[in-house]
Amino acid sequence: MHWGLLINLKKCVGCQACTIACQNENALPSDLKYCKVAKVGPHGRYPNLTSYNITVGCMHCEDAPCVDGCPTGASHHRVDGIVAIDPEKCVGCLFCMLVCPYGVRQLNDEKGVVEKCTMCCERLDEGRVTRCVETCQLQARLVGDLDDPESEIVKQIHKQNAQPLYHHLGTKPSVYYIMP
Amino acid sequence: MNCGMLATVEDGVVTKLVGDPEHPFNLGAQCPRGASALDHLNHPNRINYPLKQVGKRGAGQFKRVSWKEALDDIAARLAVLKEEYGAETIATTGGTNRTDDFARRRFFNLIGSPNVVHTAPVCWIPNFLTESASYGWAAFDPEIAGARCVVVWGHNPGSSYLPEMRGLLQAKANGTKIIVIDPIYSETASKAELWLPIKPGSDNALALAWLNVIINEGLFDYKFVAEWTVGFDELSDRVQEYTPEWAAEKTGISPELIAESARIYAMSKPACIQWGVATDQLGKGSTASAQARVALRIICGNLDVPGGDVMPGPHPTFVTDWEMELNEMLPEVQRNKQLGSEKFKLNSWPGYKLLTENMLRVWGKSIPAEWFCEANPSRVFRAMATGKPYPVKACIVLANNPLVSYANSKLVYKALKNLDLLVVMEYWMTPSAMLADYVLPVASWLERPVMTTTYGVSDWLIASERAIEPLYERKTDFDFWKELGYRMGQVEYWPWETDEDMFKYRLDPIDLGVDSYEEFVQYYRMHFADREYRKYQTRGGATLSGKIELKISLFEQLGYDPLPHYVERPFSPETKPEIAEQYPMTLVAGGGFMPFFHSEHKEITRIRLLRPYPRVTINPALAEKFKIEEGEWIWIETPTGKVKQTAFISPAVAPDVIQAERGWWFPEKEVTEPSLMGVFDSNINVCVDDDPDTCDELCGSFCSRGIMCRISKVEEDA
Repeated sequence: MHWGLLINLKKCVGCQACTIACQNENALPSDLKYCKVAKVGPHGRYPNLTSYNITVGCMHCEDAPCVDGCPTGASHHRVDGIVAIDPEKCVGCLFCMLVCPYGVRQLNDEKGVVEKCTMCCERLDEGRVTRCVETCQLQARLVGDLDDPESEIVKQIHKQNAQPLYHHLGTKPSVYYIMP
Repeated sequence: MNCGMLATVEDGVVTKLVGDPEHPFNLGAQCPRGASALDHLNHPNRINYPLKQVGKRGAGQFKRVSWKEALDDIAARLAVLKEEYGAETIATTGGTNRTDDFARRRFFNLIGSPNVVHTAPVCWIPNFLTESASYGWAAFDPEIAGARCVVVWGHNPGSSYLPEMRGLLQAKANGTKIIVIDPIYSETASKAELWLPIKPGSDNALALAWLNVIINEGLFDYKFVAEWTVGFDELSDRVQEYTPEWAAEKTGISPELIAESARIYAMSKPACIQWGVATDQLGKGSTASAQARVALRIICGNLDVPGGDVMPGPHPTFVTDWEMELNEMLPEVQRNKQLGSEKFKLNSWPGYKLLTENMLRVWGKSIPAEWFCEANPSRVFRAMATGKPYPVKACIVLANNPLVSYANSKLVYKALKNLDLLVVMEYWMTPSAMLADYVLPVASWLERPVMTTTYGVSDWLIASERAIEPLYERKTDFDFWKELGYRMGQVEYWPWETDEDMFKYRLDPIDLGVDSYEEFVQYYRMHFADREYRKYQTRGGATLSGKIELKISLFEQLGYDPLPHYVERPFSPETKPEIAEQYPMTLVAGGGFMPFFHSEHKEITRIRLLRPYPRVTINPALAEKFKIEEGEWIWIETPTGKVKQTAFISPAVAPDVIQAERGWWFPEKEVTEPSLMGVFDSNINVCVDDDPDTCDELCGSFCSRGIMCRISKVEEDA
């Protein structure tokens, strides 16, 4: 069992519903976002243009620098591949924020601990999908088991040649993108 | 748009809200607004009690009063004004998708005033009525999933209508060609097979040139045209002058691309032209542009066929809005006083009367008067401000912020200030509400039953029940009109105790054997009437000829050109050469954008932080010329007014075009006059003219797409 996300950039329109739904699901302060949306472009000269939108959250890397470097063991892998942070152990040293190549970790000032996307592991444990997948009007997101060759996510990854973002960094992310 | 939501209620408190997976629109998903709906329900800025202005209007000196005191006083003052000036002195403005519109019209028909207003002339109505005049209803249900080509014309569902965008992308994945026509490289354009980057306001020229190509190249549906339509020969003669070369200069699209795109549309059968509202906002020529698109749909044989533009017609058994409005109670003499109806005849009583005759013959029901038969907003605000042609002294505003939502905001301000009585029913304290004598608390969708019927013109309905009773002293709009009606001699016309009783009454003829509205929601939730395609074959067209009219006889009856034709843009160097040098750029003053709904949701922190400041999109070349940096405040100026927004530098717009965001006001700014929450600072409607001579000849739509403008840097502290 290895949870992963697939994000279809052919479909994303950048509405930011995932950002807001995630903030509400996790009762986050307004400046803390587990799932960020960026508009890329448009590039080119009017009217010869291209653009797409991308959502970025924790990549739940298999070789995660944040887990390797955490001095207290707060950042850790669950058995299902999700990178989690134990708030009891986190001392807010910010080391993980320095080493995360995707820049997706943020300090929660109110709590003094570092936070990031949990892949809604509690929801997954209950058999529900993540909040971002549930809210997406464009059906641009999919959550599933990367270890199961019969799962929809694995089939789609193969069919659409989905890739992790910056896979050359070698951290083996569990989040895949269908490029626009 | 009303998406389906599931609310978890514990001890009378809504604790959780998720999308309803069984709802056909959103399939369980939510947009940022839906995902923040609990913040909307419980926001500390919500109006919770009736408030009475005890100081000067606009001073913000509100005192809490009881509903009884407020309604008694409002009713008494309305009665006095009616006595002195006639019922037409009482007007109302409304908003979209949050109210039971028939109740407003019922109340107004019963008191005898025809002066009911929405932003109807710039929102779908010119399109709908042109279609209705041509074939008896609007074909507004495009079957995108079955279409081989979809034309998205002046519409950006990728930002304003996400479930529709989902449908488009699914169709695209199945091979449907998507053509987007838009001056802006929008979210939708970026996903399209073909984007036609037309000059703002040139939609009509493009549509006419498409007609020219399709007719001259013989790409139309000969059999359909011969059997079911009238006026084709005259149409064919008429469009000869509108060659692709002619249109190239107007639209900025090459003749080759115009011809090629026309061929794609005509040769991909079936195809849809999806409705949008940008083409209702061209000012003069809005209806003419609808006329040309309607002809395209007809001659290509896409009307009411599977995978084409499907025409619902009224729900046959449900008691529709039209049946609830009591239009017959409004005497002829009062209908004739409807402001603007002597000039803008299609969307007011003269056109509505003819349309209704046609529709009754074929459908047995007409379209509602709400939205489709209204006074002209510009005329109503002028009458408030000047007393001409007669004084309008009172206005009831519901689900609407007129200072932001209508053109020429400073005139609207003058108008509202000049009233003897202004009543605003609202969720929030808005700039317009600040000017009111009474601000009344309205229940939002979780606190009321909602019935979605597409403004009363679809053959289906979707119902939801209230999650909770209205919080504090909030009331539904239906309750408000009913209780005000009680006080104005209308007791016998409001026999329903609750919103649910009223809906139950309307559902009963469907005969589903339910004992209550709640039971309907629980067991059925929605009802889709049986629908057949090609209803022109079985029922005939709801037109004078009984056929589908390319030459629209109803337009002829009203004294308008019955054939598609070109109308010069109201604001262009050709029409206004005297100011062309001073205002060299073209302003697009509108377009829905995430995360706001029209002028709403500015108070909700999470949403507002996604877009804290208003943005005007300018091309990098223009930015360089004016030495403008990203995020810098810049002035946008037209002969009508001047506001500032922050620069968003992007090649999504042409170098001589700017697109300003609409709907801006700032709840965090000084609330009292003269600031009124900064309503004149960045609100682009300050710059939008509504001079009746620049408005659409048939529907009185003001122009917000393609206005002559200029920009300049905002110096420090300005």
